[in-house]
Amino acid sequence: MTVDGFGTDVERYTESTERILMRSLWRVSIKCMVDPHDRADRFELIAASEEATLARMANEVLEGDPPLSVRQEPRPKLLMQRVREPVERRPFNLGEVLVTPAEVTLSEVRGFAMVPGKAERAALSGAIVDAAVAAGHELTPAIVEAFEDLEARRRVSRRQRWAESKHTAVEFETMEDQQ
Amino acid sequence: MGYVAVTAGEEIIERAEQLFEKRRVSGDSESLGVDQLDDHLGRLTDRVMSESGLYAPRLAALAAKQAQGDTVEATFLLRAYRSTLERFDETPIVKPGEMLARRRVSPAFKDVPGGQILGATKDYTQRLLDFDLVDGDATNPTGEWDLDDKGDPEQLTTVTELLREEGLLYEPDEPDFGEPIDTTRESVTHPPDRDAVLQALARGETGAVTALGYSALRGYGQVHPTLAEVRVGRLPVRIEHPYTGEAVTVTHTDVTESEAVVPVYEKREDPQFAFGYGLTFGRNERKVIGMTVLDASIQLDSEEEPAENAEFVLDTVDGMDSFGFIEHLKLPHYVTFQSILDRIRSIRDSQDVPDDGSRGNRRTDADDTSGSVAGVNSDD
Repeated sequence: MTVDGFGTDVERYTESTERILMRSLWRVSIKCMVDPHDRADRFELIAASEEATLARMANEVLEGDPPLSVRQEPRPKLLMQRVREPVERRPFNLGEVLVTPAEVTLSEVRGFAMVPGKAERAALSGAIVDAAVAAGHELTPAIVEAFEDLEARRRVSRRQRWAESKHTAVEFETMEDQQ
Repeated sequence: MGYVAVTAGEEIIERAEQLFEKRRVSGDSESLGVDQLDDHLGRLTDRVMSESGLYAPRLAALAAKQAQGDTVEATFLLRAYRSTLERFDETPIVKPGEMLARRRVSPAFKDVPGGQILGATKDYTQRLLDFDLVDGDATNPTGEWDLDDKGDPEQLTTVTELLREEGLLYEPDEPDFGEPIDTTRESVTHPPDRDAVLQALARGETGAVTALGYSALRGYGQVHPTLAEVRVGRLPVRIEHPYTGEAVTVTHTDVTESEAVVPVYEKREDPQFAFGYGLTFGRNERKVIGMTVLDASIQLDSEEEPAENAEFVLDTVDGMDSFGFIEHLKLPHYVTFQSILDRIRSIRDSQDVPDDGSRGNRRTDADDTSGSVAGVNSDD
C-alpha cells in the first residue's frame, strides 16, 4: 500500500552533512517552540511540508500494512479568507484560498491534514502521518525529528527574510545646515 | 424573418484553437515551465490571483501560461476552476496588523515606528532597460550582503493605530457588523455596504481600479488622500482544527495593503480624518492604492462623480464583467444585424430613398424620421 496514486513518484530523501550539522544546532532551540506531538503544531508542520517528504513518511508508515480507511478523500476546496478592516473594524471577505484537506483512520486513530494549493497526494500523506503520530506509530520519533528540522529551516528562512527587509530600512540624516 | 438556429464550423473552431496553441510551441526557445512563471513573473501570477479572488500561485501560473500572458483570460480560467470547487469554510477573521511585512513605507510619517522599510522595490531608481538581462540574470545581487541577525519578524504598528492613539481617528463603538456579505454568492444591492465594496474592489481588474482611482485625483472627485502607509507582507490563513477547535495556520497569503487619510475637518463637528483602505492578494501596489482612493471616494456617497458612485464603480470594476461584455461583441450577431438591416431598409422604402443612396424623393421633414433610427438601435 502506498500513496503514490495521488501524484508523482517519491524521491528518497538523502541527508547531507551540512544538514546534519544544522539540525543538531537548531534542535535545542526548536524543541521548546513547537511540539510535533501536539495536534495543532503538527497540523501546521504538515501544511508546511514538501509533498515528497510527506509521501515518503506516509509510504514508510504504510509499509507495515496497517488498517487504513479514507474518511475524506483529498480534493481541492476553498477557504474564504476573512479580514478585519482596521479603521471601522469591519470584517470583509478578501478572497478565497485554494487548499486540499484529507482525513483518514489509521489503526483506528483519526488523522487530518490540510495543505495549500491543489495537492491531493500531499494532503492524503499528511493525514496518514498525522494519524501515525497520534497512534504512536513506531516511526513517530523519525517523523518528529523530521518536523523539528523543518521548523528549524522555516525559522531560519523567516529570520533571513526579515533581516533582508530590515537591511533596506531607511536611516534619515537631518541636513542641519539646510534647516 | 424568424429566428434560425444554425450549426457550422466546429472543426474550423478546433483548427483556430490549434493555431492559437501552436504559438506556444512554435518558437525555438525551450518550453516555459509553470515554476518558471511563478519564480520569474511573480507580478503576473499575483495579478491573476488578485483579480480572480483566488489565492493559488501555481494554478495562477498555469492559467497565465495557458492564456499566453493575457491576465484577464487567465483570471477567467482561474474563476472557472474555482466555480467547480466546494467551499470548506470561512477563516476566522484576521487583523491586517498581524501581517508580517517585508515592505512598509509611510508617505505620511517619516519616523513611523518600525521604520521605513523599502523591501524589494525599484520605486526609487531609474526605469531604464537592462540589456544585461538579454543573456540571463543568474547572479544574486544580494549575495554579498553582510546581514545582522534581526531576530524573528516583528508585527509593525500601523499608522491607523498611531492616529487612533492621538484621537485623530474615531473609535468605533464595539461594532457588531455581523456576517460580511460574500459578493461571490450574493448579488450586490445598492447602496452597498462597505464590506461588499471592499470585496468587489479587492478582486477588481487592476487597470479599472487604477483608472477610476486616478479619475478622482484628476479632478473628477473630492478625494486626494495622503497615504498613511503601504505594506507588503504575509497574512495567516487559519481554520479551526476539526479535532481540537484550536485556530491553526494552513498557509500564508502574500498581500498588499494601503491605508490613506483624508482630511474632512470642514464637514464634521469633530475634526478628524476620514480614511480609505485597500487590501488585495499578491504584490500590486498600484491597484491597492487605487482601491484606497475608491474606498474613500465611495464613502462620500455622491452621484456627481464616477469614483464616488458605488454603483458605477462596482458595475465597471470587475474584469470578468467588462471582458465578457466587450469581447462578446465580436461573436456572431447575425440575427441582430439582419434585424437592423431589415428595419433600416423598411424605413428607407417608406421614405422612397433610392437604392443608390442618393436622397431622391426622400422626405426631409425631421418629425417624420425622428425616433426611427434610434428605435433600431434600442432594439439591439
